[in-house]
Amino acid sequence: MKTLLTVQGLGKKFGGLVALRDVSFEVGEGQIIGVMGANGAGKTTLFSLIAGNVEPTSGDIRFDGRSILGLRADQVCRLGVARTFQIVKPFPMLTVLENLRTAAMFGKAQIHDRERADTVAHGVLQEVGLAPMAHQLASTLTLSGQKRLEIARAVTTGARLILLDEVMAGLTPTEVAQMLQTLRHLQATRGFTLLVIEHVMRALMELCEHIVVLHHGELIAQGTPDAIAENRNVLAVYFGEQA
Amino acid sequence: MKDLCPNLWWALLWGCSLLTLAVLPFVANDYIVGIGLTLLMWLALTQSWCLLSKMTGYVSLGHVVFYGIGAYLVVVTWQEIALPLAILGAGLLAALVAALVGLPVLRVRGPYFVILTFGLAELVKYTITWIESALGMASRILFGAPDLPVIYFSMFALALVSVAMLTWVGSSRFGHGLRSLRENEEAAETLGVPVARYKLIAFVLGAAIPGMVGAVMALRSTYFVVGQVFDPMISVTVIAMAILGGGDNARGPLLGVIFLSLLSEMLWVNAPLLYLVILGAILMVFVLVVPNGLLGLFERKRAPAGARPPADTAA
Amino acid sequence: MAVLDILLSGQLLFAALVTGSLYALIALGLNLVYGTMRMLNVAHGDVVMLGAYGAYWGFTLMDIPPLLAAPVVAGLGGLLGWALYRGIFQRLLSGGDGTSAARLESNSLLLFFGLSIILQNATALVFTPNNRAYNYLGTVYHLGGVAMTGNRLAALLVAGTACIAVALFLSRSVFGLATRAVIERREAAHIVGVDVDHVQRLSFILGFGSAALAGVLISMLGQFSPFSGFPFTIAGFIVIILGGLGNAMAGLLAALLLGVIETYGVALTSANMRSVLLYGAFVAALLLFPNGLFARRATTR
Repeated sequence: MKTLLTVQGLGKKFGGLVALRDVSFEVGEGQIIGVMGANGAGKTTLFSLIAGNVEPTSGDIRFDGRSILGLRADQVCRLGVARTFQIVKPFPMLTVLENLRTAAMFGKAQIHDRERADTVAHGVLQEVGLAPMAHQLASTLTLSGQKRLEIARAVTTGARLILLDEVMAGLTPTEVAQMLQTLRHLQATRGFTLLVIEHVMRALMELCEHIVVLHHGELIAQGTPDAIAENRNVLAVYFGEQA
Repeated sequence: MKDLCPNLWWALLWGCSLLTLAVLPFVANDYIVGIGLTLLMWLALTQSWCLLSKMTGYVSLGHVVFYGIGAYLVVVTWQEIALPLAILGAGLLAALVAALVGLPVLRVRGPYFVILTFGLAELVKYTITWIESALGMASRILFGAPDLPVIYFSMFALALVSVAMLTWVGSSRFGHGLRSLRENEEAAETLGVPVARYKLIAFVLGAAIPGMVGAVMALRSTYFVVGQVFDPMISVTVIAMAILGGGDNARGPLLGVIFLSLLSEMLWVNAPLLYLVILGAILMVFVLVVPNGLLGLFERKRAPAGARPPADTAA
Repeated sequence: MAVLDILLSGQLLFAALVTGSLYALIALGLNLVYGTMRMLNVAHGDVVMLGAYGAYWGFTLMDIPPLLAAPVVAGLGGLLGWALYRGIFQRLLSGGDGTSAARLESNSLLLFFGLSIILQNATALVFTPNNRAYNYLGTVYHLGGVAMTGNRLAALLVAGTACIAVALFLSRSVFGLATRAVIERREAAHIVGVDVDHVQRLSFILGFGSAALAGVLISMLGQFSPFSGFPFTIAGFIVIILGGLGNAMAGLLAALLLGVIETYGVALTSANMRSVLLYGAFVAALLLFPNGLFARRATTR
């Protein structure tokens, strides 16, 4: 299996605050990797660094063999990395279809022709169940709909690596089940690699084949879901040390 | 084309307007032609303003600065270089200035961008005023300016170019990128839109036309006063026309320009102050109550429920 | 005058202090409105102008000394603020129709701009656009080689006292604490029980009232017209950009700094440069602080 993403000694300081310290791990092509950790552990910072929204203060990030350190977010996207935002950022006054059109036109897919871009967008809309809302303004969608829109946008860019930031947050159990199904289906048909931040344990354990655990900006454990569930460091962090 | 004439009414409106304006110098007296010239001027200015501010959401309150720079270039090079060259040069100079200040200026967001552009325009105005007084020039007079028809049709051409530019940008991939970054700049960049570059291009494109408009209008008045060609009320009027019209395409400005030009024509001679008070009131009312402008009012009535209103920013 | 003479001149220092204290008072009002409501009141200088007219008519028509009229005029300014808040801006703030915060701020700016145009031109319509001036407290006092007119001294004292009063109010009183909380983070203040609407309304009233007061003081010092308000708005903005938000002390210092730059700058170059300096400082301040008045806002939208 080919290594798609390598994170090496990655660190980020915001002034005096150390958000990430010496984080290293690899992601293989086609894998679904989970990122776990308490709030403030540095998970979203990690995503922002990989996607190019923020510049690291130390370390390296290699995507598909080449370093993407210092690249802007739009450059990273064109190379094949897409992300969703924890607090959804739709284009409120554009329609759902137009939201995806941007992804198709400017992402890795780089479809300059509007008709073709819209066709591709429609396809993704069908798969995430947003097709009936295609010509509605994005601001009129429910939270579940907007979360699906975030994912749809990321998928429509044609990305090879998609970073999902807490897409299950705020969803009902039924919606979570639907979302899991949608994600699995999308991944199966398009073959992209997933890096998933999640607090909803069920989603994390069911979806991911390998999990990385962050705590106070450091990587304290990684392994299969079962291994993580029994890892002493992880348990200590979540449940406290036993005397 | 769909953005320009979505239905028969619009095709009719555009057709009639352009036809009337095209034949005006042949059928009407100089006073009426002057009104037509002013209308064309506002059309060109407002369309070019929308290219930056409506498409990206970066509301510029300093549009007049490009107008003034263009006028100043013509005045300063008067009879030194051929006029057509000077006018083109004015457009290029304005675009160059935009390119130079664009990057730092466009990093400023929201209301700060608004007052920054205003401050920049005023800074240029006072600097040139100071330069002129240092050179010992209180005002300048241009002798031997071209006749009204020449000026008129030059402005007609500029208005057409302005409309064409906005329409083309609006339906292009570039335009979609602009609208995306208007809606959410960070999300747009994360989806691959080269945000900084696109903002700058829009800024530069939107500067060229007012530069040339200013150059042509300098020929009209022949009496050049710095304070007049850099009058901030020109910027404000452009914004008022765009907000009054609504929308982020070429249709809205047409409505706003016609409406306000008529209003100004009725009031300017006898009650200029009253006109300005009404202008201010229009600005307030439309921002508060009718954020989608006249376009929003007309087009909402014919659109079925659930369909999207014309893509718009109130400001 | 040689450069050194200019720099060491006590006369200029006094002038800078007077100007600076007036800028501080104006900036204070601007700070309150912007801080609590995140709205840039570009009509602020025009309220100053209205205050000047109020004092002018009081003095020339009814022989009321400006210093006596000051509280009344300030009160009227506050009333105007209250009316505008109730009539227009309260609605704008509560109306959440999906517009982003940044767009709301841009919209409110255009609203204030429209208001500014109305105020300037309506005043010119009613009172004519001509310059106005009157003579009050014109006697010159001499202290340590510096000539000070009574009106300038009075302006300095009143402005200084008002600034200190408001600064104390913000830092000592409970309501001042509530105001500072709203300035810092409105939603959080709301959650802990602060009546945000009340605070905003009072900020509007205080803001407009202090602007009117500044206008009274300014009217004593020179001539003015319906269009002289705007430079004061700009000056106010420079001060709050430089001094930071809700920071009374820094605002005071920034205002004095601006007074110094302007006074000494003009003396070192020429009167024509005044506007160039003012707007130059304005543009520079905004470019250097691209996040505007609240650089701490690290969260992106």
